[in-house]
Amino acid sequence: MAGRKFLAAAAALLLPAAAVAEQGPVTVEDPHYGEVLFHFYQRDYFTALVHLTAAEERGRVAGHAAEAELLRGGLYLSYGQHDEASLIFERLLADSGDPSIRDRTWFFLAKIRFQRGYFRDAELALAEIRDALPEELEAERRMLAAQVLMRQERYAEAIDSLADWRGSGNWLAYARYNLGVALVRSGRLEEGAALLDRVGRMAADSEELLSLRDKANVALGYSYLQDEQPEASRPVLERVRLAGPFSNKALLGTGWADSAGAQFERALVPWLELRSRDLLDPAVQESLLAVPYAYGRLGANARAAEHYVDAIDAFEDESDRIDRAIERIRRGEMIDALLAADSGGEMGWYWQLEELPTTTENRYLLHLLASHEFQEALKNYRDLRFLQRNLLDWKDSVGVFSHMLETRRLAYASRLPRVEQALADADLDAIDQRRREFESRLNRIVQERDTLALATPREHGLWQEVQALSANPALEADLPAARDAAARLRLMRGVLAWELDKNFKARVWRQRKNLRDLERALAEGRRSRQNVEQARVEGPETLDGFQSRIDALTPRLDTLLARLADLAERQEAYLRRISVRELEAQKERMATYTVQARFALASIYDRAAQLRENP
Amino acid sequence: MKRLLFPLLLLVITGINAQVLSAGAAGDVRADDQAADEEEFRALDQQVQSLKKEVLDLNRELFLLEEDLLFPANSQVAMFVSLDVGTFFDVESVSLELNGKEVAHYLYTEREAEALRRGGVHRIHVSNLKVGEHELVAFFSGKGPHGRDYRRGADVMFDKGIGAKYMELQISDREHKQQPGFLITEWE
Repeated sequence: MAGRKFLAAAAALLLPAAAVAEQGPVTVEDPHYGEVLFHFYQRDYFTALVHLTAAEERGRVAGHAAEAELLRGGLYLSYGQHDEASLIFERLLADSGDPSIRDRTWFFLAKIRFQRGYFRDAELALAEIRDALPEELEAERRMLAAQVLMRQERYAEAIDSLADWRGSGNWLAYARYNLGVALVRSGRLEEGAALLDRVGRMAADSEELLSLRDKANVALGYSYLQDEQPEASRPVLERVRLAGPFSNKALLGTGWADSAGAQFERALVPWLELRSRDLLDPAVQESLLAVPYAYGRLGANARAAEHYVDAIDAFEDESDRIDRAIERIRRGEMIDALLAADSGGEMGWYWQLEELPTTTENRYLLHLLASHEFQEALKNYRDLRFLQRNLLDWKDSVGVFSHMLETRRLAYASRLPRVEQALADADLDAIDQRRREFESRLNRIVQERDTLALATPREHGLWQEVQALSANPALEADLPAARDAAARLRLMRGVLAWELDKNFKARVWRQRKNLRDLERALAEGRRSRQNVEQARVEGPETLDGFQSRIDALTPRLDTLLARLADLAERQEAYLRRISVRELEAQKERMATYTVQARFALASIYDRAAQLRENP
Repeated sequence: MKRLLFPLLLLVITGINAQVLSAGAAGDVRADDQAADEEEFRALDQQVQSLKKEVLDLNRELFLLEEDLLFPANSQVAMFVSLDVGTFFDVESVSLELNGKEVAHYLYTEREAEALRRGGVHRIHVSNLKVGEHELVAFFSGKGPHGRDYRRGADVMFDKGIGAKYMELQISDREHKQQPGFLITEWE
């Protein structure tokens, strides 16, 4: 298979398409290794891993030992077994290997550890990267490093890690945003605001960056509001685009900034704008309370009361919808719907939900569904389901194997006596004895040049006849007819002898060939007998061997199936629980709003009553 | 009224703030709940990882058992298809005849054809054969540059000894430039 060119598998595996540098041609020495790659390139990582480990066990990929090991590490990573992958990489990459592949490997290892919430382990993997990665990955690495520190609440180190960064704009903007938010949340408003402000003012030319810029401005604006700096908040919130994913929050915040400065009429402008927008957005929900609050402050109590009543209705409707969504989740319909949209490939880390089904609960859970926690748990759940199907298929196959063994046993039992009889009938030693006798006879014939011995039956008959006639005493008579007959007989004898002599060499050769054929046939017969003997001894042993392998594998299959079912159930319960809790928190918020609205409404009525009583 | 609305304002702002400011996690869920979630996720993840390893090990053993049972090493013959073409060649199908009998006819999907182009090798057929001489006839079809249709065949006699026999049918344009054909390699 010399000269086949393909991308170095491990590098292709570990690096996303954009990051794959051109690799030199690699020669595949073994079709079995190529066969693993065939599955690998189709992203059937599980099959590739099974075939690779089986080929390794049978010594079929010896020509690719080092590469196969790296591929195995990468496949483990794809299969979600980062611990196993780490062990291989640590062993393989510690002090050898292509430095660029080694560094990239550690980077992707760090990334998967981070996504799975192993922050300390992610940090250790990042520390293994020795040289700078290619530009795009290097930017992501810096951001990852900052994220890892942030998630461990090591903000000062996170700030330091970003301080001298001169890399690509996008990643830097994300990193600044994340760090800014983390600082504000930990009470370090000034430092956080500086970072958020930079992101909020950056030049953006893509929807992604425009959206990030809006997000930063909203976060900064609310941070100022929370810190009772409405005058600082307003200009920041006004930087947010009017139509975009963050416009509702910005409008709500702008209103609060105005309201904090007692400019209630001005506050009503953005708040009333929000009333026409999607009620699912918490900012729109809160505007339902903000509008009557402003009317109340402006003394328009009747209008305020009207709006509070509307708000209570809206919150109660929303609460009912949330209840129905919770019900659906509890019945397990959400996870089923999520996976029903799945294209059904094999499994692995690179998998993600391609399209989110538009169910009610998903609309409430967009935030949660996008989180690493949910995605990774969903991947695990999906993998477990895949493995359940895989083992159920094997269970069927193992049943077939047992049946096959039984059939073989029966066939063996029925054929054995016939074969034994046939072998008993064929006395190979006697045949060989006769062959030897014939050979020595042939040798004698050749030695004595006994041409008659190899004559055909017809020639033999003729010879006998000529001999018998020659012995006839009448030929001795002194008569012309007798002399003539004797001369004819001599001629016939001569012709016959000449014929026999002429054919003798060819006949000897033919007999020798027959002897050789016989010898071969005998050898074949002996080999067959040996095979049969061997089969007679080993046949049952082989069948028993297979049977005991099946017997040993079957309980393992059953146990693993039970454990898979149990773990899948627990994984699903986890997904259900975090989803339900998220929805319950939203419902709780609705309840709090409703209480606030009722309370406000009651005090408006109280005041109105007081006014009627004491005009 | 003022006394009443102040907590509302605070609630509204902090509620929203928690959502706006949260970088990745769920909006309304409290931080300690989230920490407990993460803890539970990791515990489950560890169990999933170790179970996956066991399932993988079992799969390997079942895979080998199946092979040993169906295609014992003494009589096994496996045919592999690979691609080594410099210019673009789109393989569509490969068919095999063994001793005059069709044993495989495989239509490649786009994904499989791409895997072949990248260096993957497809095990198209595996069976058992007696020791001795056998005839293999193979055909492939596909599209070459400018959408030109190709159909080529190859015929080879091979000797099957004791032990597994592997044959690779490589579709290659190395011998004749721009003209894909079969190169057949045998392994014992």
